[in-house]
Amino acid sequence: MGNVMSASFAPECTELKHEYDNCFNQWYSEKFLKGLSMENECSKQWYAYTTCVEAALVKQGIKPALDEAREEAPFENGGEPTDNSG
Amino acid sequence: MKLFQNAQEFNYPWDQVTAANWRKYPNEVSTHVVAVDVLRRELDVSGTKLTSERLITCEQSIPKWLSMLIGCSNRSFVREVSVVDMNAKTLTLKSCNLTCAHLLKVYETVKYLPHGSDPEKTLFQQEAQITAYATISTLCNRIEEWSVKRFDENASKGRQGFDSVLQVLSENWEHRDKLVDELSTKVAGTVDEIRSTTDNIIKKTELKSTSLISHYSREIKRAFNQGN
Repeated sequence: MGNVMSASFAPECTELKHEYDNCFNQWYSEKFLKGLSMENECSKQWYAYTTCVEAALVKQGIKPALDEAREEAPFENGGEPTDNSG
Repeated sequence: MKLFQNAQEFNYPWDQVTAANWRKYPNEVSTHVVAVDVLRRELDVSGTKLTSERLITCEQSIPKWLSMLIGCSNRSFVREVSVVDMNAKTLTLKSCNLTCAHLLKVYETVKYLPHGSDPEKTLFQQEAQITAYATISTLCNRIEEWSVKRFDENASKGRQGFDSVLQVLSENWEHRDKLVDELSTKVAGTVDEIRSTTDNIIKKTELKSTSLISHYSREIKRAFNQGN
């Protein structure tokens, strides 16, 4: 833990990820957990980071498998498989 | 399908555990987790429920022959969707592997909730549903398919090589017969000369076939090395 933060799967996004993580972690502890936040903050850092990640997902060929998993276990469903998961 | 279950306690309050969850990696134990990315994150309108989608990147060395066989590399990806619910006081993480999902699927559910009687403790519940789609016969079929393909490739190369060896040999064979015929009609005693000619023919044949075999053996080795 401490200040060591995990890298991004795409090295070119790691710095942007660290900027976002810094902001998010602070927001999470200081606002969300205390019930003080009504919105997901850090949008500026988020936009820069997620733009980088989206491109890398396509570039590294991860997108198709990800889309399939998203269909199987939707975000809106909390990641719960919709049905017949096995 | 197999089920795996595990339950533990952490000596930290629930809210701290959930905050630590975002900083769980890197850590000294889980060195196979090399990257964690947030793909989507949404806060519900009440501001008490946070849903995150993450991509977890793992690197674990698997034997090369196995990665060749099952078509999966050392790098693998797991997708995780988590929900922090401040009202229910739960953090639920659901994850599934993206890599090798055609062979094996592991659906993991992890739940963190406050300990019923001790607010300084957090309960951890883990459950994994493991489904293997690859049977031994599927894997065997893949070994067979791969072997047949390689064998076919090498066989056609070997065939070309052997054809040319046979050709050289048969040409020389006729020539040798001719020499033997000549020998029998002449009846003269130049035995040494003829033997040396025959020796030459045999050597020439040997040389040709050896170079062909060594040439194709390199091809065969290369073909196998590609798969190793």
